Amino acid sequence: MAEQDVVFRVTRYRPVPGGRPTFQDYGLPFRNDMVVLDGLNYIKDHLDPTLTFRWSCRMGICGSCGANINGQPSLTCETFIRDVSRGVVTVEPLSNFPILKDLVVDFDDFLNKLASVKPYIVRKDWGDWTKEYTQYPEDLEAYRQQSLCINCMLCYAACPVVGTSPEFIGPAASALALRYIRDSRDEGADARLARLNTKNGVWECTFVGECSVVCPKDVDPAAAIQTLKVLATMRHLRRLLMPASR
Amino acid sequence: MDGSDIAEEVRPARESIAWSPGRETVHADSESPPEVLLEPLFWGLFSVGGFITAFLFPVTLFLLFFAGPFGLWPTDPGAYDAFVARWQEPLVRLFFFVLIGGSLFHGTHRLKFMLVDAGLKGRGVEAFLDLGLNGIAIFGSLGALYYALRGWLF
Amino acid sequence: MARHEYPWKRRPGWWLRNPRYLAFQLREAGGVVCALYGLLLLNLLMQLREGESAYVAFLTMLRTPPVLYLNGVLFGLVLWHAISWFMLIGKAQPVQLTRKPLPWKAVFGINVVLWLGVSGAVVYLTFGWI
Repeated sequence: MAEQDVVFRVTRYRPVPGGRPTFQDYGLPFRNDMVVLDGLNYIKDHLDPTLTFRWSCRMGICGSCGANINGQPSLTCETFIRDVSRGVVTVEPLSNFPILKDLVVDFDDFLNKLASVKPYIVRKDWGDWTKEYTQYPEDLEAYRQQSLCINCMLCYAACPVVGTSPEFIGPAASALALRYIRDSRDEGADARLARLNTKNGVWECTFVGECSVVCPKDVDPAAAIQTLKVLATMRHLRRLLMPASR
Repeated sequence: MDGSDIAEEVRPARESIAWSPGRETVHADSESPPEVLLEPLFWGLFSVGGFITAFLFPVTLFLLFFAGPFGLWPTDPGAYDAFVARWQEPLVRLFFFVLIGGSLFHGTHRLKFMLVDAGLKGRGVEAFLDLGLNGIAIFGSLGALYYALRGWLF
Repeated sequence: MARHEYPWKRRPGWWLRNPRYLAFQLREAGGVVCALYGLLLLNLLMQLREGESAYVAFLTMLRTPPVLYLNGVLFGLVLWHAISWFMLIGKAQPVQLTRKPLPWKAVFGINVVLWLGVSGAVVYLTFGWI
């Protein structure tokens, strides 16, 4: 495996009053089996210890290392340098989020949105706490795809609607809502659809579909949102036409 | 040490649900924003209109506007005599009413989202767009209904 | 320590950044063009009511070269809108009919076949065949 130089063009931002993001270039040796995260860690270990970025599991399951690599929201631990390099690899923080420092973004809004869809089993009556709620393989299959979300926020970075409407509930939170709505043990569909049937709920989505393209876990949030639009409309019609059933 | 001294320094610019001294957490069962009333209905019409335009427009527009001029069809279905003959059929009148209504509700909905995305945001502006664009769709559909029924039922 | 976050601002021309965004904008434009054609067809019916000379004048105007080519471009957008519609509706599967969700390509194929059938029905019922 030959060592060649590759240049990482990385966003730097110091959180001082009046600060602006700039780019800083780093030349580093590159082996064919390196991912972008390896490059960032090389920079931090040998070239510039002040470079700040998030990462953890380095295997695509924790969702910490999201960044814009050559303009495309990706996980730095899953993106091989050989696949994205033409001599220079541009690494920027995820789009659509305010920058805290260098590649670290502020995602408090994202956490609020996740919390707002009641991401837990809701039941009217839990009854006997020792009861086991049986779930068959086909029941699991109904929501399995949406349950794979690792909260990496690449979908929020890819979504142009989030870019202009920060209050939009967004792909991951919607997929999470569908995951619980489709769970056979759950009885909270009405409350979640009520949250999604709001001005900044699913109706802001224009089905660009980029969220599903960038998702590293194939959650397909775009499909989830379109499904939720149909479910929300059906619920809305039921409530309008049959008020007694509320 | 009084918690409020520390809170002064560490309180961030905006609320966060992460714990930090002197700050309250946000709970998952916080109040939901108010539900919308008309948006699902217009989305439903947009959706139905999408099916109508996708299935019916290609062949209809081709036969009316392109088959004749480019000689791609044995007859010219858009020509006056041919069209008037077909216009006597109630089914044809219904067809054009559905086509016009569906395409209007579909296209005005898309236009509204394009304009809002391009920057026309704000409750007042969006309410105006909603009224104006859906108004065009409603009046256009009523107009189509009128012309479909005129000469047949009255 | 107060935060000094750098706020995000979406740049105009964002939709030129990758081919999927561009395809999306063209699809949206196609949708708006559908409404335009809706108004056009409404006007056609109005001119039909006015009489033969009004109808012929309007139709001739739509078929003369500069307008005809513009018409062609708009028709192209309508076609792209229809194709992308068939590709996308497979994504919304609110009612589970099969064990796993149907792949969108299968739904696309089904829709194209349906479209052929519906187009044939339109040619026959609306335009009286030939």
